[in-house]
Amino acid sequence: MIHCRLIIPWVLSHILISLLLNACSGRGSGSEYDTLNEKQKHSQRASRFTLEENDSFTRLTIINPWQGATGADQVWHLVPSGSFPPENVDPSEIIYVPVKNVVCMSSTHLAMISALGEEESIKGVSGAGFLYNPELIKRYEQGFIKDVGYEDNLNKELILDLSPDLIMAYSIGSESAAYMTKLKELGIKVMYNADYLESDPLGKAEWIKLFGALYCCRERADSLFREISDEYHRLKKYILENTDSKPNVLLGLPFRDTWYISPGNSYISKLISDAGGNYLWNETYSSVSMPMGIENVYIKALNADIWLNPGSASAKDEIIAVDPRLASLPCFTRGSIYNNTKRINGRGANDYWESGTLNPHVLLRDIAAIMHPGLIAKKDLVYYRKIE
Amino acid sequence: MKTVNNNQQLSGSNNVLLFGGLLVLALLLFMADLFIGSVAIRPSDVLRAIFTGAEAHVETIVFKFRLPKAITAATVGITLSLSGLQMQTLFRNPMAGPYVLGISSGASLGVAFIILGFSANISPDTIKGMGNWSLVAAAWVGAGSVMILMMYLSSRLKDILTVLIIGIMLAGGISAIVSIMQYFSHETMLKAYIIWTMGSLGNLTSSQLNVLLLSAAGGTILCLASVKMLNALLLGENYAVSIGLNLRLARIIVLAGTSFLAGTVTAFCGPIGFIGIAVPHITRLIFRTSDHRVLIPGIFLTGSSVMLASDIISQLPGSDNVLPVNSVTALVGIPVVIWVLLGNRKYRSLF
Repeated sequence: MIHCRLIIPWVLSHILISLLLNACSGRGSGSEYDTLNEKQKHSQRASRFTLEENDSFTRLTIINPWQGATGADQVWHLVPSGSFPPENVDPSEIIYVPVKNVVCMSSTHLAMISALGEEESIKGVSGAGFLYNPELIKRYEQGFIKDVGYEDNLNKELILDLSPDLIMAYSIGSESAAYMTKLKELGIKVMYNADYLESDPLGKAEWIKLFGALYCCRERADSLFREISDEYHRLKKYILENTDSKPNVLLGLPFRDTWYISPGNSYISKLISDAGGNYLWNETYSSVSMPMGIENVYIKALNADIWLNPGSASAKDEIIAVDPRLASLPCFTRGSIYNNTKRINGRGANDYWESGTLNPHVLLRDIAAIMHPGLIAKKDLVYYRKIE
Repeated sequence: MKTVNNNQQLSGSNNVLLFGGLLVLALLLFMADLFIGSVAIRPSDVLRAIFTGAEAHVETIVFKFRLPKAITAATVGITLSLSGLQMQTLFRNPMAGPYVLGISSGASLGVAFIILGFSANISPDTIKGMGNWSLVAAAWVGAGSVMILMMYLSSRLKDILTVLIIGIMLAGGISAIVSIMQYFSHETMLKAYIIWTMGSLGNLTSSQLNVLLLSAAGGTILCLASVKMLNALLLGENYAVSIGLNLRLARIIVLAGTSFLAGTVTAFCGPIGFIGIAVPHITRLIFRTSDHRVLIPGIFLTGSSVMLASDIISQLPGSDNVLPVNSVTALVGIPVVIWVLLGNRKYRSLF
């Protein structure tokens, strides 16, 4: 079972798939938070959706949900169940909330729904073999959650049978959006979730507000996000005040003699700089991961103090197997290599890709602990582990 | 009779000049490949690294990155071209090349099984275990299986053209299987596979380089041993048989040699296109002969030169990026071949 859920992780891992940049609105500090107008307040960091509340419904707009999309906005009208639908609105754009029955195509969606305590609404997932959340695994094993397959292998009949209120999908391009068209034709509502396109760590987490709107628990979602955001800002400030050096960071792993380099405007690059580090390709700006010659990367990597996210390597030997020359990098010989593979369960699912999106403050803490010894105890690492 | 002798002497001294010139060119390109890379290093530093010793990182770049890559490039250029030459002669077909019998398709299938195939049960994380050897082994098994199948068929079939047709069919069939695997595969895996098909010279570990060199030497010796057979085959299979050539044995030897060379290169570097078809033509045109006693040593120089030049270009000196070498061999080489062919209407007579 190949599982498209993991496409998102791979986008994040900046190894191969393109990233879309988006200008992050509201990079301001916490004090600006309260002065922003109502619309921005709902969507302060996330740039790919807006929520507008009316008297009778909430208008949700998903903005260009795939890389390079223009004019592909999706508009939804979230109407409290039991109330009358707004006039002059296409019924196919109406979702009655709270939703009771959803199918999720990405693990990040699952984490956010779980965080709101609405696991029971999840009826279908893509790639059940890669669930991390024990509660969801239990529900899958008990048969409450079905595996709907992936992309071209999507079990459309099963989905019809589940007749979900909503499929939370994602799309990496208009072409791959095609596999959902058939479902739309059959009257199933397919909402594109573009959290993976957010390059701001808080912007990604802020998508929980969208779930808050879908489950009619806006306040819980808002307060969860506020806690995350406050903790993130608090940590960032603490790191800034208590560190004076910025260790150089190398990311990724080559494939044959090409090294796909995450651009400086990516999600992980932002996390590194907020954690008081200097990503070696911080200055680069690109909408896609950039293929670079290994010779070039090697020269720059000689200055790396820390090596993060070396593909999926979980041991130094695996890095050597990929390319033995990497073993002579100073960060390798010093053993300063960490990967986000601490929370992998027996099924091979990595919680980094499931709950990591919702926990940028924890990721920030992990990365800061790795880069600034003594600042935060390394034994408390949540998602990261040292590669031995 | 006298004029013929004169001609032979003339072409003999011409060949010496040509060999000399090409040798210098190949050596220059080999050195250039050490000097030019995606990282700008002063030539003086490269020289110091080679002769006296320089900073550690310069030495690493020169000895661990550029030197193995240059040696690989030269070896790949030679082996694929030799393999192509033998195939063209064996099939009496200018379109033949090392991959015409599906060797690269077989290798691709092996690699596809590793990268795309087993993803049914494992996560994309599996790329992690994809050390160098697993891909090499898979490619070799794939190429080897096709090779054995084709040798079996060619020993049973009388007409060499039938072998060629079956080879092309087989390659098409294997590609279809790979397409199906691509269709169902995860995007990341797909990209990894595509990168493999683009070829790369710079990823061989020193032990792999040793294996490549040993295999190339073995295949080349086999090739040298078949010079007489190849020259006989040039005159047509019937004639070759009439002068005592064991046709089946010749086919087996030539096929084994070429497949071994092409399979090994593909296993280590991915399918490198164009070289195997084009370099034999370029070499024939340079030396204006179809005599394998001249062409084979000639190919050592032309094949390595073309491949080294392609590698230098693929490094895009002065930029951070590199191009897939496979694209460079095609983009650089094809215009050369077309130009050469357009300017040489009598080329057909060399074939």
